[in-house]
Amino acid sequence: MLTFIIRRLLIVIPMLLVISFLVYLGLELTPGDAVSHMIDPEAASQMSPAQFEALREALGLNKSFLERYATWVYNMLHGDFGRSLSGGVPISEIFLDRLPATLELSFLALLFSTVIGCSLGTISALKRGTATDSSLTVIGMLGVSIPEFFFGLVSILIFALHLRWLPVGGRLMPGYETFLDRAPHIILPALVLSLMMTAGVMRYSRAAMLDSLSREFIRTARSKGLPEWRINFVHGFRVALTPVVVLIGFRLPTLIGGSVIIEEVFQWPGIGSEFIGAVRGADYPLVMMIALFSVFAVLMASLIVDVLTAIIDPRVRLS
Amino acid sequence: MTGEVALSVKNLKTFFYTNNRCNKAVNGVSFDIKKGRTLCVVGESGCGKSVTASTIMQLLPSLSRIEEGSITYHAEAGDIRIDQLDRDGKEMRRIRGSEIAMIFQDPMTALNPVYTIGFQIGESLKYHTDLSAKARHAKVVDLLANMGIPEPERRAKEYPHKYSGGMRQRALIAMAMSCNPKILIADEPTTALDVTIQAQIFRLMDELKEQHGTAIMLITHDMGVVAELADEVIVMYMGNIVEAGTVDDILRRPKHPYTRALLDSIPVLGRGRNQDIKSIRGATPDPYQRPKGCQFSPRCDFATETCSAMPDEEYITETHRVSCHHYKDISQHD
Repeated sequence: MLTFIIRRLLIVIPMLLVISFLVYLGLELTPGDAVSHMIDPEAASQMSPAQFEALREALGLNKSFLERYATWVYNMLHGDFGRSLSGGVPISEIFLDRLPATLELSFLALLFSTVIGCSLGTISALKRGTATDSSLTVIGMLGVSIPEFFFGLVSILIFALHLRWLPVGGRLMPGYETFLDRAPHIILPALVLSLMMTAGVMRYSRAAMLDSLSREFIRTARSKGLPEWRINFVHGFRVALTPVVVLIGFRLPTLIGGSVIIEEVFQWPGIGSEFIGAVRGADYPLVMMIALFSVFAVLMASLIVDVLTAIIDPRVRLS
Repeated sequence: MTGEVALSVKNLKTFFYTNNRCNKAVNGVSFDIKKGRTLCVVGESGCGKSVTASTIMQLLPSLSRIEEGSITYHAEAGDIRIDQLDRDGKEMRRIRGSEIAMIFQDPMTALNPVYTIGFQIGESLKYHTDLSAKARHAKVVDLLANMGIPEPERRAKEYPHKYSGGMRQRALIAMAMSCNPKILIADEPTTALDVTIQAQIFRLMDELKEQHGTAIMLITHDMGVVAELADEVIVMYMGNIVEAGTVDDILRRPKHPYTRALLDSIPVLGRGRNQDIKSIRGATPDPYQRPKGCQFSPRCDFATETCSAMPDEEYITETHRVSCHHYKDISQHD
């Protein structure tokens, strides 16, 4: 198991290199560079070509594409993640500042969707064909098909503006306020972010549970005289868990990327909103880092899924 | 003790309801399962063999029910009417696994893939005995050893996928026998196994019968198995018992045209490759459009008009009974 994990971690390095090159190439191919985005058109019209050149040189944009990429990789390997072109802030600082907010939101959303999705899906499967099952199915379909920004706005309208139960948005910095002060701010965005995934997990765990309950070992368990709860949960649910864990694991990176819209709607100062600005401004060091981070998240999620399935399902062997 | 009735089924009818139609899967069967004896139930697919077994265990799907008749389990503490028990009620759960145990057709799918064999056998003990965890483990290892599984201590900790088909079936038998049930119902336990393993499994079951006086109800469609293991035989067709008797009654003196046709359709070793194997003409009728009267009449060579009425069960000898209008005429040719 340990060799497997180490090997998988080593594979991550060449993959990150290849992907970083592709992203770099993509940025190179987009029209305009950081300089043309940084300076507003009016000021730009009064600048001499020499001034432009000087600015480009200062930012290292005058070198050839491959040279710049090589420098970037060299710096990366030495732990220098570069500075944002637009503000001059070190990117590591931006990450330290923004990443906790995004991770906080994503993991809470993951927790909500896993717990709510699995329980509702299991209830749905156990009450198959009843009114409960049908209404949960309808709710699930709604959850999958209505876009999350809409849910976000509606929930702000209802819970923040009308009922005044929860704040409209924003995030309080850790350390300055108590947990109880901070907690209400994350509830709405986390719930809305988890909603779509909850619906997915629910449908999926319902199907997995039904499949598992129709298998023959359930009949064997029943023939042993076990009580119904043990048949359903110890035997049925445990087997249904494997496909559900795979689904949840692979949704993990999507959740980090998918929080872009929710972060905008709820004014949540995470990495997602930063990403939008960086792409608009052709701020390539920042875009590169965020892109690499997402790739890293995907690769890590797939590693976690593999390890988890091996733990849950004894038939799976890591090699 | 041997020969005492352990369970008696009287005029049992189990019907399935799907799409507003009723399938009379088991339509009035009566038989006894006796201690220390093997009762074989034979018949082609869909004749109601397995449904009869599931009915005794109350393991029927939700859209089916016992329509009529009785299943009486003669327990040491007194008779229990299984048909009147709540399907998943406490009493039924107590009987399942501890008094009446069942083994299934396909050992490859009958075990839960995510739990060790030891855990799955131990589960029965946990719910039916007062043994401590340690004692349960010892008992599991003991059971596996009795089933001829090598290195039982290590094997108990392994998952089903590490077991071969034959070993899984042994593990399932160990599970079924863990609480010393009075009755063991085996639903085609060797259909999914190869022939050499079949023989081992049957020898095992025979030993259990001898040692513990377990009553065995063995469902099969293999006449070779019947000749080998059975003490009594029931022949079923379309939810009815067409003929029942001791193994000699059925194999040597078959009376019902269906039993005779069934026996004629089996190749016999030693008769050479040119032996005449007769198939039964026609196909099993649709259970929703049953023939009138004797269910076998459309496929029967001896059918006459009288066969459009259901024949009564007649006792030829004390043990041998048959449901056929013409069995006397037919056996005259013998």
